[in-house]
Amino acid sequence: MWLTSKLKQVLMVIKPGVVTLKYPFEPRPVPKDFRGQPSWDHHKCVGCGGCAAHCPARTILIRDVCQDLRIMLYDGSRCTYCGRCADVCPEGAITMTEQFELATNDRNDITVNMELFMLTCQRCGRCYNMETTNMIDKMGLRGFRYDNLEVRAVIQKATEHFDEKLLEESDRYKRPQK
Amino acid sequence: MLTIEDVKKQLKDKYQSDIRNFEHPYGTRLFVDVDRSRIRDISNDIIRMGGRYLVSVGYDNIARDKTLGLVHTFSLDAEDMFICLRTSAPVDNPEFDSITPDIPNAGWSEREYIDLLGMKFTGHPKPKRLILADDWPEGLYPLRKEVPWNMMPPAAENVAYQLDDAPEGCTTIPIGPFHPTLHEPEHFAVYVDGETIKGCDYRGFMVHRGLEKLCQTQLTYNEVPFIAERICGICGSVHATSYSQALELAAGITISRRAEYIRTIMLEIERIHSHLLWLGVAGHLIGFDTVFMQAWRVRERIMWFGEKLTGNRKTYGMIVAGGVRRDISPELADELLAVLKTIEKELVTIHKAIAGDGSIHRRTKGVGCITTEETKLWSLVGPVARARGVDIDTRRDHPYAAYDDMTFDVPVVDSCDVWGTVVVRILETFEAIKIIRQAVEKMPAGPIMTEFSEEIEPLRHSISAVEAPRGEVVHYLITGEENRPERWRVRAPTYPNLQGVPAMLLNNQFADFPIIVGSIDPCFSCTDRVMKVDVRSGTAVRVSGSDLEKISRAKKFAGR
Repeated sequence: MWLTSKLKQVLMVIKPGVVTLKYPFEPRPVPKDFRGQPSWDHHKCVGCGGCAAHCPARTILIRDVCQDLRIMLYDGSRCTYCGRCADVCPEGAITMTEQFELATNDRNDITVNMELFMLTCQRCGRCYNMETTNMIDKMGLRGFRYDNLEVRAVIQKATEHFDEKLLEESDRYKRPQK
Repeated sequence: MLTIEDVKKQLKDKYQSDIRNFEHPYGTRLFVDVDRSRIRDISNDIIRMGGRYLVSVGYDNIARDKTLGLVHTFSLDAEDMFICLRTSAPVDNPEFDSITPDIPNAGWSEREYIDLLGMKFTGHPKPKRLILADDWPEGLYPLRKEVPWNMMPPAAENVAYQLDDAPEGCTTIPIGPFHPTLHEPEHFAVYVDGETIKGCDYRGFMVHRGLEKLCQTQLTYNEVPFIAERICGICGSVHATSYSQALELAAGITISRRAEYIRTIMLEIERIHSHLLWLGVAGHLIGFDTVFMQAWRVRERIMWFGEKLTGNRKTYGMIVAGGVRRDISPELADELLAVLKTIEKELVTIHKAIAGDGSIHRRTKGVGCITTEETKLWSLVGPVARARGVDIDTRRDHPYAAYDDMTFDVPVVDSCDVWGTVVVRILETFEAIKIIRQAVEKMPAGPIMTEFSEEIEPLRHSISAVEAPRGEVVHYLITGEENRPERWRVRAPTYPNLQGVPAMLLNNQFADFPIIVGSIDPCFSCTDRVMKVDVRSGTAVRVSGSDLEKISRAKKFAGR
């Protein structure tokens, strides 16, 4: 009994042989729909902020520095690669690439910064409400946004009209400390 | 067979006006509002009816009516019914009768709310701190709404958890709090008499991340599944499914059948890879690394398939409230069947090779024994319970997703030891393969997402359970305003199972500690730090790494 099972174990090990991949010395291609680093197409982006509103990890920040200029920042250091941003983008401006070798000691290497020139809506300034029919997918923060890009913090405030005071306030934002 | 009406009648006859209200909006879920003075009696009655304790849920209702709410939840497995006993107490006197003396598994839930909500439980046998850090200030209850989610109180020195006193004549061996091969930092103090374990105390929750608070204050309904998935690195889809089901139940929507089938397939894929992972780890814990290498080699196939299907080899991100995110194309389904065929063949080989191996028998048979009665008393779940003769499986008892269409066996063995859990897990892997084959074959066409057409009404309660590879996951949800949950309570399977570990350890050999704790699947390894405690004088001497080296060198050379 004992000997036969040991023989079976030897066979079990010998048959498949060495299965360890030669990675990283040989490249390891990823499957077709792999969720790697997201990439933004600034030609397609309309700055609606849907990606920021649906990012569970809050890695996409939006800061309106004036009426016409919106800065969007993607901080890959906390990204979980869930791909929700690509799902909800109404313009198809976000794609999940095949890039996964993203280890770095400088987070600016995996940060994407976009400056978007925005037209002002005659009615309300910024009136994007992603055209979604799913009630639980609606946007929480609509209008002008004032995230702090310096400390990479989401400011849970949005206004209908551009508010310089909030912008200044956001600059003074500090993370809670012990 | 009890029906909801029977339960209602029995409770009403016995407790009259102490039962305030009944609610059963979803058929199989019965919510009972009871007076807090009778909570212990009614809980015991539900157990007598054949109920199994699941979890308690505490919530802050101060802003509405100045009360703290408490829900004890039970499952009637034979009747496919969940019973939730709801009660409340004013915030200035939040005292409840503890149900722990009769239902030991409620111990942690109650301690949790002592910590997080400031409730008091009279008659609790061990009202010690459970979740909060030792230096968290007294009187600050983080789950109350007035406490901001990102509060960071100052750290304090000179505070430490007081472990239970060791029994007379026993030595304390601390295991933990961290070791490179442990999956999680947790701390056991094991009391040994010679080599025999006489008891243990547990201090864990070092990585309590406050997910529930985060989701209740910051995220929206459809962001929570992604956080839920990260509760556990191994069984992520399980939590996302359970949360989504609870939400769909509360919102009153039925998702498409195809989405339910895809969820079933995802859950079973997860079960296959989790059981193979556990089999490998169990082999590793008893020093049988051939099993570890081979089980993980076989497992890799299903990981690659998961990557192909979902875009990631783990934390699939497939499940959102209302359905799933990606469809399974016919080509992928064929590939899945091919992968399953290979895995089945390889697993049979592994099974045959280890079934007759004397070393694995000697390390697992008769180890970690507890009786079927004790298992029921401690409300243990999953393979741990099924290896001890308790015939429960949420997939069969409370069918969800597409499990009502599947035919499968629930393997139950009554060897009551670690060997039983090995057998149950291997057999379950074959059952999982069977289920996926049926699901692929029967999968109907249709959309994969169902949208929520209306806003979800606030303050609706719902409960959902899903059978994870390790046991049963329970999610309790109270819907809220602002598109996010008011209260979301997660109970992972290790929560009840870990409470049963002291009973499993009792009178076992210390060398079997890793495999006994590992058998419930949190996978601990060996001791990383040794402290010698003289029980009589109470003095502790810490042995440093270099001291250990000296001692072991001296031992090694002593014989020469």
